[in-house]
Amino acid sequence: MALGTKASQTVLSVRNLSVAAVDAAGARPILSDISFDIESRRVLGVIGESGSGKTVLARSIVSWLTAPLKVTAGEIMFHGRDIVTDQAYARTLAGREIAYIGGNPAGALDPTMTVGAQLVEKLSAVRPDISTRDARDKAIRLLEAVRIPSADRRFHEYPFQYSGGMMQRVMIVDALISDPALLIADNITQPLDVTIAAQILKLMRELNEEFSTAILFICSSLPVACDASDDVMVLHDGRVVEHQKPEALVAAPQHSYTKGLIAELPTLWQDGPASEPQSPTRDQQAIISVRSAAKAYYVHSRGQAGMSRVQAVRNVDFDVFPGDNFGIVGESGCGKSSLMRLLTGLERPDSGTILFKGENVGEASPRRLRELRRKFQLVLQDPYGSLPPQSSIGNILEEPLKIHRIGSRSERRDRARSVMAEVGLSDTLYEHLPTNLSAGQRQRLNVARAIILEPQLLIMDETLSALDQTEQGKLLTLFERLQAQHGFTYIFISHDLTMVRRVCSRIAVMYLGETVEVAPNDRLFFDPGHPYTRALLSAAPTLEARRYRPEECLLEGEPPSPIDLPPGCAFASRCPNVFDRCHRENPTLRARGNSALASCFLIDEHESGPIPQESHNA
Amino acid sequence: MFVVRFLARRLFQGVIIVFLVSALIFTLLRVVPGDPVRLMAGGMAPEALIEQIATDMGLRDPIYVQFARYMSGVAQGDLGQSFVRPASGAALGGASFDDTTRSERAEVLTLIAETAPMTIQLALLAMIFALIIAIPIGIWAGLNPGRWPDRIALYLSSIFVSLPNFWLGIVLVLLLSVKLQLVPAIGYDGFAYTILPAFVLAIEIAPFIIRALSVSVASVMSQNFIAIAAVRGLTQTQIVFRHALKNSAVPLLNLLGVQFSMLLGGVLVIEFIFDYPGLGLLTINAVLQRDFPLIQGIAIVTAAAFVLINIFVDLIATVIDPRLDY
Repeated sequence: MALGTKASQTVLSVRNLSVAAVDAAGARPILSDISFDIESRRVLGVIGESGSGKTVLARSIVSWLTAPLKVTAGEIMFHGRDIVTDQAYARTLAGREIAYIGGNPAGALDPTMTVGAQLVEKLSAVRPDISTRDARDKAIRLLEAVRIPSADRRFHEYPFQYSGGMMQRVMIVDALISDPALLIADNITQPLDVTIAAQILKLMRELNEEFSTAILFICSSLPVACDASDDVMVLHDGRVVEHQKPEALVAAPQHSYTKGLIAELPTLWQDGPASEPQSPTRDQQAIISVRSAAKAYYVHSRGQAGMSRVQAVRNVDFDVFPGDNFGIVGESGCGKSSLMRLLTGLERPDSGTILFKGENVGEASPRRLRELRRKFQLVLQDPYGSLPPQSSIGNILEEPLKIHRIGSRSERRDRARSVMAEVGLSDTLYEHLPTNLSAGQRQRLNVARAIILEPQLLIMDETLSALDQTEQGKLLTLFERLQAQHGFTYIFISHDLTMVRRVCSRIAVMYLGETVEVAPNDRLFFDPGHPYTRALLSAAPTLEARRYRPEECLLEGEPPSPIDLPPGCAFASRCPNVFDRCHRENPTLRARGNSALASCFLIDEHESGPIPQESHNA
Repeated sequence: MFVVRFLARRLFQGVIIVFLVSALIFTLLRVVPGDPVRLMAGGMAPEALIEQIATDMGLRDPIYVQFARYMSGVAQGDLGQSFVRPASGAALGGASFDDTTRSERAEVLTLIAETAPMTIQLALLAMIFALIIAIPIGIWAGLNPGRWPDRIALYLSSIFVSLPNFWLGIVLVLLLSVKLQLVPAIGYDGFAYTILPAFVLAIEIAPFIIRALSVSVASVMSQNFIAIAAVRGLTQTQIVFRHALKNSAVPLLNLLGVQFSMLLGGVLVIEFIFDYPGLGLLTINAVLQRDFPLIQGIAIVTAAAFVLINIFVDLIATVIDPRLDY
């Protein structure tokens, strides 16, 4: 076939490319001596940590280098013509032959124009020969191809009416609408939830086969890159350190950097928890006990009279025992953060109870709540926004003590210095502003600020999400040490399954404001009771052989809006095992033996037979 | 549907605002010292006559009774009668109390209706001049933030904003009207008389528009979708004129609304200098003569205009940027 011969054609050929940041002080190299080829219909994955030059590479190919970045040597040949020297040629390619998709779909289109109008505008700009009518039809056809529901209606909606995952699909349409020969995908799954990211990757592979586009797939996660690509190139310090087939790369990495990267990768099933987390005995008083907690917010939504009710948290049930590491996982919008606000008493639940050592946090007086807060502290996600930039580190640490009127000035100072030592911050930083701290150091400071009050419970709301793999590992070790010394109980709120797998003894899975499953670590990963948990596990980026095949478990579509929830089970619209009853009534958490709970009607059927269940501790 | 609900809600709010403004002005005017009846009747009128006139006019009733009477009139479109001005348009004040020619007093609504179009004409022309000056400079500065077009815009704005309008008005009259005889200046006898005062006003408000426009264009130009647009294959012209300008229009529009309302309500100095027969001149005279009904009427009309202009501006803004929800 004609297409078959075309498939082996080299689209892009980069030779000895070097890019440097050139300013008055001289040239600082960003990329050095990069060479590679991409053929049509192939996907070349590029991985590397932040700062390795991945994005600069992407931008040099789409001619989007801004001062002070400059190509200092080498060439980028597109179909045999150099686009570095021939800028006019490069301009004719932009958006037409070389398409680009970035990692920030939310801000990628003009917020004041409809998505459809912008797709048509782009196609008309790069292919003036296509009529508006044809452009419109093509846009709608492609929107359907990337599975935007009711595409012809969605065509007339504005970018803010799309979710992040849908917007990324739109950007894929935007890139492919001109039938480009080369697609640069720069971290396209990074801001998305795992199940949505997995859908996007699957879609990209399908489209790649259909449209015979060459794809440069840039990504910071090795498992994702290996999943998505035909070849993987590893960038380290601006150099290509390795270029192999994914299987070969994982099996026999050549460069020490790749070896380290693979060795450090956390696993879900192979190794199990870092240090076998022991669930504490359940014969004592729970430190936190949540019973059918619910919280709704009222928002004004456009084009509608009155307020809409957003059910952020609906049926949440779990117990956390002293000394435990409890994990709460779920994707964005599942109510994790609203639940955190309830747990810390920042907001009161509409119904249900939240007991801290038998005392109802939801009904405590403001004064009592402040006293209670000494006992449970919160560490937040954003290492930058959560620290006041104009206070010295010492002041930041002493402030909680001042608020609770603890100790004299010199005692507070000593306490601050001792917690700094405990979390591994140098004593010399005491007088410094937090401005120059790295993200990891900032999170250490946040942890120090939380533990200075000697709490019993620490709630970690995505505390490690902003950190890279190495730094995450160091902080987890720190958490373990602090727990051994002070007997803290941790609640980790996270979307990262590998992290939760490593440190938590019991895990709750949330979906649309409900706890759909609560189970011990091993049980959750080896014998999940809820189809949503299986979908999460099937979508998690890992190099291991998957226990749950994405083909069987992966979800289609997106979660329904918490404003108008369908009757019955909220998961029914995406569930692969859905049946009649799910649309009629909402399942509640039911026991599966060995302190595992899940809310799915299928459990009744499975569990009715005498299937002996083995869990790692009773 | 959205537009109907929007207008219903905003007009309702507007009525409340106008009512509160009226109440405030009404009360304040009556607690300041000075008896308007004495001014109306003339200095020589006997005390008994003054009391009689005052009682006849209801000026001796409690304030809330007077206010209720006044507001029920306003609701029916009756803003009352001027204390001082005769309907015949004859000269004001000074006449003796028994002068029969001044019995017919002018309707406030008529007085405002005669002068408001003059001020609207002046305000519109001033706004057009200001936009002609400010839009190219503002966009040019916004597209080159920190570079010389931006600095030129800044210096020019500083000069414009530091020129006192009365001085500029007088200098321009001297130069363009007296020396060069290009445009007429004082009074009003045709459209040409609007040009010079409008130009002086335009110089006064242009710096605000330049500043707002250059800041909003610069911030839009640094957004992700603008940077991506070139990579997506759009031309620079498309990026600037279809996307950047549309997105920077909303903050500018809000500023224009406020500026236009201020032009309608209070171009006192300019109208006084150019002896331009608009609302500003009417206001000055009304204040000098303690013509309470007239002051009240002008206050209510300008408050209503302010409310309507802002409703209009917000409506246009939601058309430009569908994310907005007022």
